[in-house]
Amino acid sequence: MKKICILLTIAGLLFSACSRGPEAIQYGKDACWHCKMTIMDKRFAAEIVTAKGKVYKFDSAECMAGYLKENPGLATDKQALLFVSYYQAPGSFNDARKSAFLEAPTVSSPMGGNLAAFGSENLAKRFQNGAAGTIYNWNELLKSRP
Amino acid sequence: MRNYLLKLCLLLMLPAAVFGRTIIVSPHTQIQTLKKAIDLAKNGDTIIVQPGLYTSINTIVNKELTILGEGKPVLDAHHREEVVTITSNNVKFDGFIIQNSRTGSMRDFAGVRLSKVQNVTVSNNTLLNNFFGIYLSDSNNISVINNHLSGSNNAENSGNGIHLWKCKYVLISGNYVTHHRDGIYFEFAKNSTIENNVSEKNIRYGLHFMFSDDDTYLHNTFRNNGSGVAVMYTRRIKMLNNTFTQNWGGSIYGLLLKEISDAQIEGNQFIRNTTGIYMENTERIRVTKNNFRSNGWAVRVLASCYNNYFTNNNFEGNSFDATTNGSLKENYFSNNYWDKYEGYDLDKNGIGDVPYRPISLYAQVIEQNPQSVMLMRSFIVNLMDKVERAVPSVTPETVKDEKPMMKPWKR
Repeated sequence: MKKICILLTIAGLLFSACSRGPEAIQYGKDACWHCKMTIMDKRFAAEIVTAKGKVYKFDSAECMAGYLKENPGLATDKQALLFVSYYQAPGSFNDARKSAFLEAPTVSSPMGGNLAAFGSENLAKRFQNGAAGTIYNWNELLKSRP
Repeated sequence: MRNYLLKLCLLLMLPAAVFGRTIIVSPHTQIQTLKKAIDLAKNGDTIIVQPGLYTSINTIVNKELTILGEGKPVLDAHHREEVVTITSNNVKFDGFIIQNSRTGSMRDFAGVRLSKVQNVTVSNNTLLNNFFGIYLSDSNNISVINNHLSGSNNAENSGNGIHLWKCKYVLISGNYVTHHRDGIYFEFAKNSTIENNVSEKNIRYGLHFMFSDDDTYLHNTFRNNGSGVAVMYTRRIKMLNNTFTQNWGGSIYGLLLKEISDAQIEGNQFIRNTTGIYMENTERIRVTKNNFRSNGWAVRVLASCYNNYFTNNNFEGNSFDATTNGSLKENYFSNNYWDKYEGYDLDKNGIGDVPYRPISLYAQVIEQNPQSVMLMRSFIVNLMDKVERAVPSVTPETVKDEKPMMKPWKR
């Protein structure tokens, strides 16, 4: 019985080490990997966890997109996890590939990208409320970046 | 002739029109709120607010008024809204305590907001515990003078002290900002001057430029902020005679430069910072007549920087004078004083006869292997650096001061 317990514990530890997930961002301390700014605004933060488990933190979706533009290998890597925080759920981690992005002058994201992430195109549309702006999905957003 | 008389009469009547009425706001009279006084006032009037605690749930100043606080009256929004919004040109707003704006992620609530106005002065106010302090958007010819701003010091929920968005010709002078996100924040703010301010203990930056060209900041002190000043994505910024001090910690800098060009950095003091100046993607920056004292890294110049000039600076008591992350090209060092220089001056012209290499071998080793920092000041490291100085082999050949000064520059 004791042995099984130990085995289970070890197995548990091993599995927990294997599973990849988002790493918490320390707002006010962690710096954006792309623009070097300290990450402050919970509404806009983003994060990449690579296949090997390396974590890159960003202060905004535009910085994450900018970094991926410079590293196309990582951008096409299906194993890499891409997270964005939702404008309406600040500090949450959500799959960027399944998110909708609103680019609108009313959104003041940290790097001047005027970009906010939402759970769905409908949510983004509702927030936009007929005002000026463009809605992208993740792939369209990457393409739209210079 | 009669025409002239008429004009003279009109001229004599002018003062009556220019000097408006004065309206007194006091808890003890009929006019008990600033809002009521503004409703009653006409353009050109003066409102004097007497001492007391007034609730101000986003009072809107939509007339050309001089609004003066007498004995520091308090305007309090009780965390329900913004405190004061100025939407008219030619307003002076002076002498208030403005406190407790709402916080929250949906809007940038501010203590005093200026929106699409010109010729407005905000002076001698104390702003306490607001989300954003003084928020200027789409405004020109604004003066923000001698205000004292103290934010909530909450890392996750605090805005900038003095925030500019799409402004021109703004003067920010003699203010004190603390416990905000960025002390002073410029986004698309041009042709503006920041002078004689103190920005300390702000959570992110003391002063922060984004996409803001042709600004000057001088005689300011940036102390103990997340980082001192960040200048990003801008051109032609002048940084003169400022003090950057006690900005300590991982990824924390006295002055952070990223994607900027044609800047002038002159006469500043960089004292006790983890990194004095950090430069990434910079072009044509002139760093001259500055003092770098007791920093971890005095200057860190990444390989993406070109045509930057470091002249007539003093480097004293820094752990590392300069570091880089690759091969540094087209960056020039000349006529600086380096306390680590061990050369000689046989012709006695005050300039060392052999060049000084500011990037030490050990700095290069740490670049490749950060853990080796634990060997700092050990015998083996000193020996390595001495050998490298005698027979340079690893340190970048191009990075050297051909004319190192024998004595520090006196200022």
